[in-house]
Amino acid sequence: MCGIAGRILSAPGRIGDDLVDLMEAQRHRGADSTGFALYGEPLETGYIVRAMAPERDKLSADLDDFLAILRENGSDFLADPTYDNADTAHVSVRMTIKDPKDFVTWSRQADTMCEQLEIQSVGRSLEIVKDLGGASEVAEKHNIRDFIGTHGLGHARLATESSVSPTASHPFWARLFPDVAIVHNGQITDYYTWRDRLERKGYRFMTYNDSELIAVWIADQMAQGSSQAKAMKDSIGQIDGVFTYLLCDTDSMGFAKDRWAIKPLVVIEENGQMAVATEEQAVRMVYPGNEDIINYDGPSMTGTWQISSVRKAA
Amino acid sequence: MSEVVVTAGDSPIREVNIEIRARLAEGNSVVVRDTRSRHNLGVGLPAGAKVRFEGSVGYYCGGLNDGAFIEVERNAGWSTGEAMATGEIIVNGYAGMSTGASMRGGLIHVKGDAGPRCGVAMKGGDIIVEGKIGYMSGFMAHAGRIIALSGADEACADSLWGGEVWVAGPVESLGVDSKIIEPEPEEVASVEELLAGRGLGDNSREWQKIVSAQKLWHFESRDASAWLMI
Repeated sequence: MCGIAGRILSAPGRIGDDLVDLMEAQRHRGADSTGFALYGEPLETGYIVRAMAPERDKLSADLDDFLAILRENGSDFLADPTYDNADTAHVSVRMTIKDPKDFVTWSRQADTMCEQLEIQSVGRSLEIVKDLGGASEVAEKHNIRDFIGTHGLGHARLATESSVSPTASHPFWARLFPDVAIVHNGQITDYYTWRDRLERKGYRFMTYNDSELIAVWIADQMAQGSSQAKAMKDSIGQIDGVFTYLLCDTDSMGFAKDRWAIKPLVVIEENGQMAVATEEQAVRMVYPGNEDIINYDGPSMTGTWQISSVRKAA
Repeated sequence: MSEVVVTAGDSPIREVNIEIRARLAEGNSVVVRDTRSRHNLGVGLPAGAKVRFEGSVGYYCGGLNDGAFIEVERNAGWSTGEAMATGEIIVNGYAGMSTGASMRGGLIHVKGDAGPRCGVAMKGGDIIVEGKIGYMSGFMAHAGRIIALSGADEACADSLWGGEVWVAGPVESLGVDSKIIEPEPEEVASVEELLAGRGLGDNSREWQKIVSAQKLWHFESRDASAWLMI
């Protein structure tokens, strides 16, 4: 069992604050780890990189290695990297980088040092922040509530299929596609079959979390020219298991639900803004009034909301 | 019987339920405010109790009901009235998945639509849904009646063992091992009488009564492919 949430604002605002409220209300669905995919004002050029290093003591050396790979690819830091100063061994790092000459080449090369410094997201706008603990603890450690942006995702994890670690939690970046992220509630039952197929095609998995498969699977569909909407629709017939997941980029947020209608999704849309979550009590944290809710409870459903005007296309 | 207010807010649900019971024990009926769609409200309420929830409730509201009258002003989450023995639950809005799961008796009356697997594994009692019942409603039910006044989603009455699913309006598709049969006039009269007693009388309805085709009663693994939906 996990809890997911998404939030879209009609103009940049305290997106982090809303997402923490949405996730805190679903803490009972899993509090071993919590994560956020936050979309701030997009950069015109350059990328924001969020990464995690398992050994804080070695961070400075790891960043030197990371920078060397950046420079080999015609990129550089645009500012000094920042990181949390908690007393945990692992450390979360935020970097802004110049556009590499070739994004995919750089990204693949940077991933070769994933055991030292694992990239968790790259985007003009997207920042994935995830860690151990419930929403409040993660929010406090990483200052999530003060994040200003237009939209984002949240995830509360109760690990059922793989280990608990800060990197194995959600959201997952659709590797090699800047700004694309997913959160998932469910279990993927043909995980190893798909993982094997995708690894043969050259995709790298960072964890044994079955939800990472959805992110990699979507990236593979996009690499073949599929739109996100089509990929979500196709995933229902091709990925086996019970799932409700949210897929987000800078322009849109979508959802897909499995054939068995197992995992719920509750939505409130009002005045160009939207909140979506696993449970009604979460969306009521941001809409405490009498707004009507929509329950997407049926089987094989997908939908997309546009970020600018929050229109749903079924 | 005087009506007293209990506020749920962010109090621990155990404390809210203890307070509801304490107020009921003093001979009051109870209105619960600021429900925030929280789970497990009003579970295991005793016979004679009368509790109304303002706003919406979360999962398992009125579960293990033992004879109480419970009303939810708006929506209910999963498994409203799960395993209830007797009593009555009214949901004025939408009732989420698995409404009346494993219920043994009593009545659940949903004024909006009901989500997937309404009446899953029910063993008795009646569920009335004025709207539409969701995907796979009646899944593996053993006894009792589900009565839907505005149609049924796909795979209606899937793997029904016993009991009846009554649908007025379109049935999008039948689930495995269920069939539509012609109801006896006295059965229709019994359903209409129940509905009339709730202000829903309408003798012009065209009923589809769905029951088990009873083939899964004697399941053989060599026949498994006949039951696979995908």
